[in-house]
Amino acid sequence: MPSSDSEDFESADEGRISPNKRERKKRLSSSNYSDNLEDQDNKTTQEPVLHKVAASVKDNIPKDGWDDFDIEEESEPTDIPQKEEIKTAPTEKAQASIAQKIDSQKSGWDDFDDWGEEKDINTKDPQLIPKSQVQNVKEIPDPQEVTKSDGWGWGWGNSLLSTATAGISNLTTQVSQGISTVLETGIGAPDPEELARISAQNNAKENNADSERRNSTETKAEPNEANQSNANEGAFPFGSLLSGVTKFVETTGTKVLAGGLDTLETIGKKTMEVLQDGDPGLAKKRAMLGLDSGDKPVLSQVLREARAKADEEDQMKEAKREAKAVHYETLFDDFEGLVHLEALEMLSKQVSIRIEERLRSADPNKRQDIKETLQQVAELCEMPDEEDEEEDEISEGTSRPDALHERLQRATRDIGLKLQFQPLIKQFTETLAWLETSDVTITEKAVYKKAVSDLAQTTALSVELYHKTAEMLLVKNRRSTADEADALTQLTVVLTKHISDLATQFTEKLTNHASEDKEQINNYITNVFLEAGNSSKYIENAFHLALPIVQIGAV
Amino acid sequence: MTSGPYNYSYIFKYIIIGDMGVGKSCLLHQFTEKKFMADCPHTIGVEFGTRIIEVAGQKIKLQIWDTAGQERFRAVTRSYYRGAAGALMVYDITRRSTYNHLSSWLTDTRNLTNPSTVIFLIGNKSDLDGQRDVTYEEAKQFADENGLMFVEASAKTGQNVEEAFLETAKKIYQSIQDGRLDLNAAESGVQHKPASPGRPLAAPPASRDPCAC
Repeated sequence: MPSSDSEDFESADEGRISPNKRERKKRLSSSNYSDNLEDQDNKTTQEPVLHKVAASVKDNIPKDGWDDFDIEEESEPTDIPQKEEIKTAPTEKAQASIAQKIDSQKSGWDDFDDWGEEKDINTKDPQLIPKSQVQNVKEIPDPQEVTKSDGWGWGWGNSLLSTATAGISNLTTQVSQGISTVLETGIGAPDPEELARISAQNNAKENNADSERRNSTETKAEPNEANQSNANEGAFPFGSLLSGVTKFVETTGTKVLAGGLDTLETIGKKTMEVLQDGDPGLAKKRAMLGLDSGDKPVLSQVLREARAKADEEDQMKEAKREAKAVHYETLFDDFEGLVHLEALEMLSKQVSIRIEERLRSADPNKRQDIKETLQQVAELCEMPDEEDEEEDEISEGTSRPDALHERLQRATRDIGLKLQFQPLIKQFTETLAWLETSDVTITEKAVYKKAVSDLAQTTALSVELYHKTAEMLLVKNRRSTADEADALTQLTVVLTKHISDLATQFTEKLTNHASEDKEQINNYITNVFLEAGNSSKYIENAFHLALPIVQIGAV
Repeated sequence: MTSGPYNYSYIFKYIIIGDMGVGKSCLLHQFTEKKFMADCPHTIGVEFGTRIIEVAGQKIKLQIWDTAGQERFRAVTRSYYRGAAGALMVYDITRRSTYNHLSSWLTDTRNLTNPSTVIFLIGNKSDLDGQRDVTYEEAKQFADENGLMFVEASAKTGQNVEEAFLETAKKIYQSIQDGRLDLNAAESGVQHKPASPGRPLAAPPASRDPCAC
């Protein structure tokens, strides 16, 4: 890079005095883009000419460029030494020196209307370019002086400087082609004013070393384009000269290019918009990428989110598979709880139909009595709100299974049936034996599985008990509805108590389990209580299904 | 209780009916446990048995309702016919009265199931040929006249027990294939269960030969 870089930056700082943004913006939006487009078109084919032009610019500036500068005495002293430098510099460094030159002029051109004409001339006859270009350069200092007061010119000087340097390090043919596409399709590229401001800030911050500066400008462009841009350093800037675009326009173009990913993003947005026409499905994709919201669609973020989602789904699948291994309903089905419940339900429905038939066929006078009787039985079968503890008069020293057996028998002693409690007692005995084993190798999960399984089995046996009781009540010779209702209610109390007792046994086992994963233990405990609640629901459901069977005995 | 993979495609509901003491529960026990239960208590209401079989490469769970044969439970067991895909109607070849009651059982079955229910007549205790009271030909004729499938079987020896259960399943499966059995009907007695691995079965089929015929 030219040794004069530091000077550029100093002037850049100088130039950043209260820019008149509105005016600048207006200017930029008019002809700059199209000019730049031409630059790019001409660039590759007319490189030799460009160099020549550059040379002529250099030559011309001192000769006839500064005649009009007499008015502004200030700028002349700084300009002259720099121009000498330019003469000695190799062609690759021409761009930088031009930037210097511009900088030294601190130009704020306010008369942009000329440019369009100049461009026209240029396209018609490239040979005229040097003249007009030189003319333009020559004229620059004038307006600069004039517009110093309103400040926008300073802003331009600044932006020209910064973008010129940025262009050197960042420009690539790919990007410029991208820009031409943008221009052709009429997209509003990122506001050059904004870009200029940003790059100026960057330059101002890091104006010490070449490498640092390069880094700062490269942040706006693809890093791997840096090498390429070096190769293009000499050529491209002069392409703009050849095409008759003023340095101002040229640098504006490079400014746009320096936008790097921002610009590419805009292209992407436009492409999406174009694609979206006639393809409503794309709207979703746009929404997904967050293009509509104006957020930058960061691909890595999208991918990260997609991956996180996939991971979550995997975990859910695993959890589901795991849950099925200890799935309460499945176990309940395995222990024939479900089929007994189904059979009880069929029986209950059948009996309800018979009750309805009896009501229908009954004498209208007696119908109300029957209804009242049915209601009374239903009331007898209501679960007591508070469990009276008077039932717990089991003598000390009785084993827990025996105590359960005693309670069950006591609850159903007036039902007039010989009920089989043995399966329940046997199951409880086995459960207690399992819980008492002090096998330290038992995992908390094994305890949890056993808890769910035992709750399901106890519930299945309880449902079977209701089913069998219902069947036997239906074939019973002498019915005693009130006793039956009371017995079934008491039975339900004992069974639901037994369920919660079982749950407590298992949760105590889980609580005492030595484990690092307290959270998992707590989850298991919560689930055990949930399944215990589930069990009680099944039992109460079976009890309610048995109600018509009790009722029909009374009518 | 062992748990195997939940990998069957259908559940067929069977109901076993017939007079008390003809050996309904023993037939079921022989089919599910491959054992003869010499001292079989009276069934109260209904008991259940399950087994996974395979028909035409499809795993089918048989949910078998073994009803009480006692006359006093007749009203109760009538509640359980509904939704049976298969009905195994059993008589005892050594007791003519059990054969004579078949028309009554058949009437119940016809009234309480749907027309596509497969009815399979089983003359049990074929091992007691010396005490035979009903000839094969006579029963066969009855079966043909009523469009029933028929075998003589022995819950004791296991002879033809598998065949009776499996042939019934094949017939039901054929009805499904032919479209005669509407799976969506609430009382078809068939539930379609899409295979979902990981769910345990109601019965341990892994230890059994799914098809011994």
